Amino acid sequence: MVKYLYYDKRSENVLNKQLIEDILTAALSTGGDFAEIFVEDRTNNGIVMIGGKVESTVSGRDYGVGIRIFKGFNSVYAYTNKSDRETLIETAKKAAAAIEGISGDITINLIKSDVKKINTIQIDPSTVEKTKKVQLMRKVYDIAFNYDELITQVTVNYTDYIQNIMVANSEGLWKEDTRVRSRLGISSVASKNGEMQSGYFGPGASKGYEFFENLDIDHYAKEASRIAVTMINAKYSPSGKMPVIIDNGFGGVIFHEACGHGLEATSVAKGLSVFAGKIGEQIASPLVTAIDDGSIPGEWGSYSIDDEGTPSRKNVLIEKGILKGYMVDKLNGRRMNMDVTGSSRRQSYRFAPTSRMSNTYIDAGESTPEEIIANTEKGLYAKYMGGGSVNPSTGEFNFAVMEGYLVENGKIKEPVRGATLIGKGTEVLNKIDMVGNNLQLSQGMCGSVSGSIPANVGQPMIRVSEITVGGREGEV
Amino acid sequence: MEMKSLIEKIFSEGKKKGLTDMEVYYSAGNSLSLKVFQKELDGYSLSESEGLSLRGVYKGKMGYSYTEKVDETSIEQLVNNVVENATIIDSDDEEVIFEGSKEYKKVDSFNTELSNVKEEDKIKFVKSLEEEAYKIDKRISSVKTCVYGDGYGEVIMSNTKGLYLHDKSNIAYTYIVVDAKEGNDIKTGMAYRTGNDFYKFNVKEIAKEAVEEAIGLLGAKSVKSGNYPVILRNSAAADLLEAFTGIFSAEAVQKNLSLLKGKLNEKIASERFTLIDDPYMEGGLASRSFDGEGVACKYKKVIDKGVLKTYLHNLKTARKDGVETTGNASKGSYKSSISIAPSNFYVEKGEKTLEEIIKSSDKAIMITELQGLHSGLNSVSGDFSLAALGYLIEEGKIVRPVEQIIVSGNYFEMIKNIEEVGSDLKFGLPGEAYIGSPSLKVKSLAIAGE
Repeated sequence: MVKYLYYDKRSENVLNKQLIEDILTAALSTGGDFAEIFVEDRTNNGIVMIGGKVESTVSGRDYGVGIRIFKGFNSVYAYTNKSDRETLIETAKKAAAAIEGISGDITINLIKSDVKKINTIQIDPSTVEKTKKVQLMRKVYDIAFNYDELITQVTVNYTDYIQNIMVANSEGLWKEDTRVRSRLGISSVASKNGEMQSGYFGPGASKGYEFFENLDIDHYAKEASRIAVTMINAKYSPSGKMPVIIDNGFGGVIFHEACGHGLEATSVAKGLSVFAGKIGEQIASPLVTAIDDGSIPGEWGSYSIDDEGTPSRKNVLIEKGILKGYMVDKLNGRRMNMDVTGSSRRQSYRFAPTSRMSNTYIDAGESTPEEIIANTEKGLYAKYMGGGSVNPSTGEFNFAVMEGYLVENGKIKEPVRGATLIGKGTEVLNKIDMVGNNLQLSQGMCGSVSGSIPANVGQPMIRVSEITVGGREGEV
Repeated sequence: MEMKSLIEKIFSEGKKKGLTDMEVYYSAGNSLSLKVFQKELDGYSLSESEGLSLRGVYKGKMGYSYTEKVDETSIEQLVNNVVENATIIDSDDEEVIFEGSKEYKKVDSFNTELSNVKEEDKIKFVKSLEEEAYKIDKRISSVKTCVYGDGYGEVIMSNTKGLYLHDKSNIAYTYIVVDAKEGNDIKTGMAYRTGNDFYKFNVKEIAKEAVEEAIGLLGAKSVKSGNYPVILRNSAAADLLEAFTGIFSAEAVQKNLSLLKGKLNEKIASERFTLIDDPYMEGGLASRSFDGEGVACKYKKVIDKGVLKTYLHNLKTARKDGVETTGNASKGSYKSSISIAPSNFYVEKGEKTLEEIIKSSDKAIMITELQGLHSGLNSVSGDFSLAALGYLIEEGKIVRPVEQIIVSGNYFEMIKNIEEVGSDLKFGLPGEAYIGSPSLKVKSLAIAGE
C-alpha cells in the first residue's frame, strides 16, 4: 500500500485566497498583463561523513515568496522571506513600480485545482531517525573504503528534502504540490606514489526514504572506489581527434551540454541558440531521437507540475535527427509564439523560473554494446563521464571523462586518465554513427540562469565518429 | 532592538534543552538587478531577504540548524534540530564557540553614496552600455546579456560567550556578454566590473573590452597538438587559482585530500610565485574584520617566493595542528556550517607588462579563457584538462586567435614552472572569496588541437 505521508506544518504560512488575489491585484496595478505568486516552504537535511565519521550535519528550513509580473516581453521579479500581508502587498507594489502604465480592470478569480501526482512517496524522510541515516552512510563508507588498499579517503554525502510549493496567477490558476527528493553522494580517493585520483557516484530519486532502503548500496560504493583505483593505475590519455564510444547513463551529459541547453527557450527565444528557427530541419544523425520527460515516475528530474503550475510531460525534442520542439516557459513562449511545455523550473523562490531540462535522454537504438566496441578499430571508450559546460551561441562544449579506456582492434584496452572532450554540438550530433540498445538514466545537478536544479541525463551507449580529445600525452 | 531580544529567547530555549555554548549568525540584505535586451528593460528583480542560523554545543558536539522564517515560531525547531544534529556527530575534532579576539581592525566596505544612486540613473547606465556595444563594431550581432545590479548585506554574530559583532557592506556589479558574427563564425566576449562606487563604472571602457574580446577571436582555428609554452592571461590564471583554492585549506590537508600535506616550509613553486591572503586589501570585495567564527582576520603570505608558509586555518584545524588560527573560518551563508576559505587571495604581481611577456616569447599560446572549470579538473590530483580560447604567438607577436583546443597539465607541477609573472593583477567575479592573479607564463603545457 502506498500512502502519502506528507506532514503539513504549513498551516500558519499558507496564504489565503483573498490575500493571494490582493497581491496579484497589487502586482497588476501599473499595467502589467500577467502576475504570478510562488510560495516555497522547504525542509533540508544534509549529513557529511568523511573518513567514517560524521563531520557535519545541517538541517533547516527555507521559506520565501516570489512575485513575478509580465508586460509584453518584459518581466519583473521580486522575492522576500516574509509572509505577512503588509510586506507581501508592499513587495508586489514595489515590483509593479518597475512597469510603466495604467491599470485596466482587474478581476482575479482563483480556482484551486488538484495536482496529478507523478511521484509517490512511501516513507517521509523527516520521520526517519538521523541515527538510521548515519548507519546507512557508515555501511556505504565501509564498503567503499575496504574495496582496495589503495583507497585512502571516502566521503559520503546524504541529502533529503521536502519542498512544499504553492503557485497562483492572475489567470486564475492556483495549485499546491509537495516534492520529495533523496540522494546519496559517494566520493572515493585512491593514492599511490604521492598521486591521488578520485571516483564518484551519486544516485538519487524523487522518492522518500524507501529509495535508500531499496538501493543497491554495495554496487554504488564499490563502483566509486573501483573508478578511483582504476584511474590511479591509469596512464594519461592521448590527445587528438578520434572516434569516441560513450557509455550509457551519465554519458548522456554529452547531449545535455551539446544540445539540450540550446533547445531551452531561454536561449532560443532571443535567437541566441544555434538551434533557433530550425524546427523541422535535420540537425542530427538519423539514429538520434532525443526526449525530455519530466513525468517519469520517481525519477530525480521529475515533478508533477513545473514552477509555473503546468503539468510535466514527455516532450520529443529530436526525432530521427529532425528537430521537433523546444522546452518552453511562459515568458519565452510569448516571444516565440509557442505554448508552454511544462519545463519552467527554478532552484528556489530566489529565482524567476525559466525553461530548463528535466530528464533528458537519447532514446535507445538497435546496436548492442558489444557490436559497437567490436566495430571500433581505434579510439577512446568513455565509461563514465564527469561534468561539462557549453556556450549556447556557438554550441561549443567541453566535458571531462572520469573513467576512460583506449580501444584497439575492437577491444577495450588499458585505462587512461585526464581526458577531456571538446567540440561543437551541431557537429557531434551529426557524427553519432552507432546507438546502443541499453538506455539508462543518471542523476546530476544542472546550473543555469534559474539556479541549480536536479536533472537526469541519459542515453544508451553511443559512438561518435570523431571528437577532439585532450590529454597530457601526445597523439595516438 | 528586536533582533537582540529574539536572540535572547533562542539562547534561553537552548539552555533549557541542554545546550551549553551557543551562537547565532544572522544575515539580511537586499538586492536589485536590471537587465536590458534590445533597448528595453526586459528583466527587473529585487529582493529583501534574511536568514538565521544557530550552532550550539550539546554533550561536547556541535550541531547546526537554520531558518529563513526569522521569528519566534521557529525557535523550538531550531533548537531541536541543533540537538539532534549534534547527537549524530562523531568527529573527534572539537569545534568551539569563540569568546572574541582582543582587537578588530576596522574595514570599510560600505559606501553610503551607493544607496543614494537613483534607480533611473542605473537604468540609464545599463541601457547605454548595451547601446555602446552595438555602436563600436558592426560585427556585434547580439548583446546577449547586459546587466547592472547592486546589493546590501549585513551580518550579526552573537554568542553566549559574550561576543557580539556586526558588519555591513554593499556592492555594485555590471557585466555584458556580446556575440560577434562574421559569416557563420560566432564568437562571444564578456566584460565585468565590480565595486561599491557606481560612478567608477565606465560604459565606454566596459563595452570596448567585451567587444574587442569577441572580435579578436573571430576567425579562430585550432592549432597542432603538442607541448607549448603557455601564457595564462590574468583572468584565466585567476580562474585556475580559484578552482584549486581548496588545496590550501588545512581541513583538506588533515583529511588527506590535499597533496600539500607535509610540504610546509618546502619549495613548492617557482621563486617568482608569491600567494597572498589579505583581508584588509583596499577595494577588496572579500575584505572583512572578522571571520566565520568571530576571529579577527589577518594578512598572510601563503606561498612566499615559492615556499609554502602556511595552510588556511579555522579554530578547529588550528587546534589540531597546534598552531594559531589564520582567521579563515568561512560561513558562506547562514545555511552553511563552518569551513575554510581565503579572503582577498591573489598572486603578487611582477614587473613585466603582458605586452613585454608576449614580446619575449618566441612561440607560445596565450590563453584568455578556460572553460569547464567545474568538471575538467581534479583538485585532489591537481590534474586539469580544459577547453580553452586564446591566441597563437610567434616571434613575439600575436599571429591569430585559437579555439577548439584543450590545455592539460597538473597544477602542482605548473606552479613550479612559472617563468614570468606579469604586472597586470586582475580579480575575478567575487564568490566565497575574491581571487586575483596577474598573467603567468608557464614553461610548457600540453595542448590538444588538430
